[in-house]
Amino acid sequence: MTPLEYAVVGLVLVGLFFSFVAVVGIIRLPDLYTRAHATSKSDTLGTVLSLGGVALLFGAEVSGVKTVLLLLFMLITNPTAAHAIARAAHDQGIEPWTKSDEEGE
Amino acid sequence: MALEQMSTFETLLLGAAGAFAAFAVALLYRVVRGPTMEDRVIAINAIGTSTVVILVLVAAALDLPGYLDIALVYALLNFLASIAISKFIVERGGVL
Amino acid sequence: MSESSARILVPVGESSTFRNTVAYAVREARRVASETGEEATVHFVYPVRWQLVDEREQSVAEEVAETLDKARVWATDDLDYDDDGELASEDVPVSIETAVIGEDRYLFSPGDFATVLLDYAADRELDRIIVDPEYRPGGSAPMLQPLELELARSDLLVEEAPVERVVERSRLPSRANVSKAVTMFAGSFTFYLLLAGVFDTFNLVTGAVSAGIVTAVFSRITFVNTPDASRFVVRTVRFLLYVPYLLWEILKANLSVAYIILHPDLPIEPEMQRFRAAIWGDLSVTTLANSITLTPGTLTVDMERDSLVIHSLTQSSRDGLEEGALERAVRFVFYGRSAARLPSPAERGAISSLPTTDDTEEDA
Repeated sequence: MTPLEYAVVGLVLVGLFFSFVAVVGIIRLPDLYTRAHATSKSDTLGTVLSLGGVALLFGAEVSGVKTVLLLLFMLITNPTAAHAIARAAHDQGIEPWTKSDEEGE
Repeated sequence: MALEQMSTFETLLLGAAGAFAAFAVALLYRVVRGPTMEDRVIAINAIGTSTVVILVLVAAALDLPGYLDIALVYALLNFLASIAISKFIVERGGVL
Repeated sequence: MSESSARILVPVGESSTFRNTVAYAVREARRVASETGEEATVHFVYPVRWQLVDEREQSVAEEVAETLDKARVWATDDLDYDDDGELASEDVPVSIETAVIGEDRYLFSPGDFATVLLDYAADRELDRIIVDPEYRPGGSAPMLQPLELELARSDLLVEEAPVERVVERSRLPSRANVSKAVTMFAGSFTFYLLLAGVFDTFNLVTGAVSAGIVTAVFSRITFVNTPDASRFVVRTVRFLLYVPYLLWEILKANLSVAYIILHPDLPIEPEMQRFRAAIWGDLSVTTLANSITLTPGTLTVDMERDSLVIHSLTQSSRDGLEEGALERAVRFVFYGRSAARLPSPAERGAISSLPTTDDTEEDA
């Protein structure tokens, strides 16, 4: 494997880690708002890092540009989507989980 | 492309894609469990994100640049779906 | 219409039919008042899209004051008040009020404009709204029709002033529309070619056609303000300075979130807070909201009136928000270095915790 390929695999692996964190978060966290934290942050970074790795591999050609475009798009839309969903929940009157709810569950 | 010709690098990328697929499956737990509609939407959005990454990784590993276009369209649809659903939940078809 | 009222609200802004709308409103107020004996009053209000935080916005404020002044002067003229403020003839008196509204809210959608107008009307017991047919609440974006629809949802009387359009909308596109169309066309054409990847005749032609259609349909609603090349460049440069900072913050955010999520005890203490950010305008608020969402333990949930509702995961993330580094950075991107010097949200008292209501219905 070339150094470039090592860098690509490294980025993808780190991205994989953060996406893993996001998945654990979405499954494990207690309520919708906290789960939205997981998607908006960890999932975004995981995706961006993985796509960044692939963009590095494609280099300065059309595919690389497309991947970068996709990366930017994900960077903007992921938090926006999380925000839209959290907002819907807020409008609906869903209360955020608090420390004191723990005994109730 | 036959499997035995594949280099370590390509195998690693495909492996990563496989891991993302596993994540997507794990997220189905949240889609099924809920409990609220919003929880499901969040999980589906995350599954869509994984799908985009999988498409891009496969495009890189197998050198199929056409997959990138699919990934772009998928990302767009994924975003629109999340926005539309979360709008619809609350406003029931009001002015977007 | 049989039921009319002499208590009239007129949203104002610069337009070609502004003068005639003022005249019409005043005339109507007087006519109805003389018929019914009601006390006549006309309120001219200017809904604004920002709040005065520093001198930068001063010139805009002057423009607003000037517009309202004009309305008042014209109205008084029409009413034949003489210099002493006395009515010359035996006419029915009509009181004229002017006001700037919406300073304490974010106004984006027609619905937002309608809300502030209706609130104002309810406050002053005004029950009739006369709209200037050339009124442009959203800058150059076409927003009048949806605004009238929203206004009509209330039980107030809403009408468009039946004024002659002094200047027929010319066939020739205005300069603002041309620059919008050019920007839009260039943007979509570039995007098309990027996706196509090959610059052959086929792609160039289909791209030009597609971009042309997109421009024809969307150029008037995509931009609120006329694209300004120099401002765009300045903001882009500042934004590029902002990106590394943002990336660093995102990385920090993710490490802390990863720590929290993977920690066996799940050490979170979530809380909702309200944050009055000193930032106005669609793009800048969006940038700030998204940046907040991306950085340590905070998530923008909603935008209510004048503040962002933020859900934070831990105490340390709340502290970070109170220091206001992000807000400062976004102000720098959009308003320049001088605007970045502002007291931190904690010092301004801009953050308050959102009380949780106990009596919400559960719908699972």
